[in-house]
Amino acid sequence: MKLKQGMMLLIAGGAVAGAIALAQAFNEPKYQAAPKGEITLEYWSWVPKMEEQAALFTKQYPNIKVKVVNVGAGQSGTYPKLQTAIKAGTGAPDVAQVEFGYIPFFASTGGLADLTKYLPSDAKNYFVPWTWSQVSQGKAVYGIPQDQGPFAMIYRKDIFDKYKIAVPTTWNEYEAAGKKLFEASGGKVKIGNFFSTFAPWFTALAWANGAQFWKLNTDGSYTQTLNSAAAKQVANYWGRLLEKKYVSTLGAFSADFWNAVSKGEVATSMEAAWGTGSFAGSLEKNPGVGAEYRVAPLPQWKKGGTASGNWGGSTAVVTTQSKNPEAAALFAYWLMSSKASVVQGWKGAGVFPAASAGLDLPELSDKTSNPSKFFDGQNVAAVYKEAGKGVNTRFQWSPWAPTVDASFQKQMDLAVNGKQSFADALDNWQAETLTKAKADGYNVK
Amino acid sequence: MKNNRLTPYLFLAPFLLAFSLFFILPVLYSVYLSFLTRVRNGFAPPTEVFGGFANYARVFTDGDFLASFFNIFLFGAIQVPLMLIFATAFALIIDETQGWLSKVFRTAIYIPYTIPGVIAGLLWGFLYSRNLSPLNYLLSNNGGTPVNFLDSSLLLFSIGNIVTWTWTGYNSVTLYANLQNVSRELYEAAAIDGATGWNVVRYIKLPLLRPALMLTLIFSVIGTAQIFSEPFVLRGIGFVPVNITPNTYIYQIASQDANYSYAAALAVVLALVTFAFSAFFLRYVNRSQSV
Repeated sequence: MKLKQGMMLLIAGGAVAGAIALAQAFNEPKYQAAPKGEITLEYWSWVPKMEEQAALFTKQYPNIKVKVVNVGAGQSGTYPKLQTAIKAGTGAPDVAQVEFGYIPFFASTGGLADLTKYLPSDAKNYFVPWTWSQVSQGKAVYGIPQDQGPFAMIYRKDIFDKYKIAVPTTWNEYEAAGKKLFEASGGKVKIGNFFSTFAPWFTALAWANGAQFWKLNTDGSYTQTLNSAAAKQVANYWGRLLEKKYVSTLGAFSADFWNAVSKGEVATSMEAAWGTGSFAGSLEKNPGVGAEYRVAPLPQWKKGGTASGNWGGSTAVVTTQSKNPEAAALFAYWLMSSKASVVQGWKGAGVFPAASAGLDLPELSDKTSNPSKFFDGQNVAAVYKEAGKGVNTRFQWSPWAPTVDASFQKQMDLAVNGKQSFADALDNWQAETLTKAKADGYNVK
Repeated sequence: MKNNRLTPYLFLAPFLLAFSLFFILPVLYSVYLSFLTRVRNGFAPPTEVFGGFANYARVFTDGDFLASFFNIFLFGAIQVPLMLIFATAFALIIDETQGWLSKVFRTAIYIPYTIPGVIAGLLWGFLYSRNLSPLNYLLSNNGGTPVNFLDSSLLLFSIGNIVTWTWTGYNSVTLYANLQNVSRELYEAAAIDGATGWNVVRYIKLPLLRPALMLTLIFSVIGTAQIFSEPFVLRGIGFVPVNITPNTYIYQIASQDANYSYAAALAVVLALVTFAFSAFFLRYVNRSQSV
C-alpha cells in the first residue's frame, strides 16, 4: 500500500515534471511592457493568412490593433511601394515584411528604424543566430527575423513511381532522371523548372554550391562576385538541362507553372521551406489526378553531401515613419517569437520559423494540418530543418538588390534563348550590376 | 451691363488649380530633382547634392535607355499607322451604316477602350500564357507548337496588339464624329457630279478627315512614348525587359532602384523628345493646311 502510494506519487511527480518540461520546450521570450492607450498599427505583409496571425497579437494585447495589408510580394508590390513611401516621407506602414536580401537596400534608404532601443537586450537569443546577423548592421538591428528559406526539392512521388525512377540525391542523378523522364514521356514530362526570372532562386542554388556573392569589407566597401566558378557550375548545369529540354522555364508563381505542376508536366521544383506553403496553398484545390507531393533534400554536387542554400526568409521591419515604434517593435518581436504566432505561421503559410524554439515545436510535424497534410502527412519540417543545417550562414547581401535582380532576368533571358552561354550570362550579370552599382555611387569592387 | 474681366479666370480656376497642383508642380519638382546626385556615406542614408548635368550626361550614355527609345520608335512606326488605318476604315464603315447596326458597331468598337489598361493587360496576359492560353490550346491541338508570346522577337508585337485593340475604337469614334460633321450637301454635290462609293471616300471624306487624323496621330505618338501598363502587367507571366519602353525603365530606376534624381533626368529627356516629335507633326499639319 505504502509502496503503491509512493509509486503513485512518483508517477504523478513524473507527470508534473513532464508537463513542466513540455511547457518549457518552447522558450518564449519575456516581452517588454506594451505601450498604453488605443493603438492601431499598419502591417504590410504578403504572407498568406497573416490577418489570423496578427489577430493573435491583438488577443494578447487588446489595446493594439493591427491592420494587415497585402500590397504584393516583394519586388512586384511591397518594395516599390515601401521605398516610394520612404522617399515621400509619408504613407509608409508601421511594420513591413522585407526579405533578408533587401535589408541592406532598405537600411540604406534611411527609412528603417533601429530596433535596439525598443527591444529587450536578450532578444537576439531567441532567434537562429545567422538570421539575427542578417538583420544586423554593426550595432543596429533593422528587423525581426520571420523565417528562413532553406532549400530542398519538392517532387511528385507518383511521377517517379510511374516511370520507376529513383528520387535523385545528386545533381548527376538528377540529370540522369531528367533524361529518363524526357525519353519515357516523349518530352512531355520535365524533371524540373528553371526560374530564369528569379535571381534569389538561382542565388540559393549557387549558395548551396559554396558561392558567396557579396562581401562587406572592413573599410566599408563591397566586393561582388556573381560569376565565381561555383556559380558558373550551377548555371552551366541548368543551361545544359535546358538545352536538352529536360527542364522548362515557366515563370515562378505563374498560373502556367502551377498548371504544369498539377498536370504532372514538372516532376520536381527546388523550393524554400515556405514553398511548401505555396504548394499547399496554390494546389490544394486542384491536386491533379493522383498527385502525391513529397519533399526530399536538395540534390548534391558531392555524393553524401548535405549542403543547402536559402531563398528569401523574411523579416518584419519598423519604419522611421511609425508613430508608435514601441508598439510596432513589440508586435514584430511577438509575432516572430511567440509560440501561438509561430505555429499559426507554419500552418497558415509554411512560414519556417527563425525563432530557434520554433524549430522544435511538435506542431511543425503535425500531419493533420498544412503544409504536412498536403504532403500526405510527410514531416516536411524535418527535411527543411536538416536542410537549414547545411546552409552557409555567412552569406551577405548588397544594398543594390533591385539592380541585381533586373540584370539577372535580362542576362538569363539571353542565355535561355541561346543568345549567350550561361557562363557568359554570369559574367555579364557581374559586369552590368557592378557598373550600375558604381554609377549609383556605391563603393564596390 | 458690366463685363467682369475676372469671369473667365473664375471659370478656369478649378482646372488651373488642379493642373498646377498635379501637373506643373510635379514637373518642376522633377526638373529640380534631375539636377541632384547622391553621395553615399557608408551605411547612412545617402545625401543629395547639386550635381549639375551629371544625370543628363549619364542619360545619353545609358545603353538601356537608348534601347528603350529604339523599341518605342520601332513600335510606333508599325503600330501607329496600322491602328490609324484600322480606325479610319472602321469610321468609314460606321459612317456608311445606318440605324441600329451603326450603334452596335460604335459600341462594340469602343468597348475595349472602356476597359482599364491594367485589366486589359491581365486579360491579354491570360491569352498570351504559354500553357493556359486558348490560342496555344488551339494551336497545339491542331499539330502546331505553342507560341511564346513574350519571346523577345514577339514581345513588341504582343504589346502592340493590346494597344491596337484598346485604342482603335477610341480613334475610330473620334474620326467618325468628324465624318458626321461633314455637310451632306457635299455628298449631294458629288453625287450630281457622278462620284460614286470609293471616289466619295477618296476625294471627299479622306481629305476632310485629315485634320482629325493628324490629331489622332499626335495623340498616338504621345501615347506610344508613354506606354507602361501593358508591358508592366505582362511581367506577371514571364520575362519582360525593364527597358522595353522608356517609361518602364524610368519606373525601374525610380521605384525599384530608388534613384529618383536619375529617373527625373530620364523623364525630362523623354518629355523633351516627345515634345519635339509632337511639335514636328503639328507644324507639318499647319503647313499642309495653309497650302
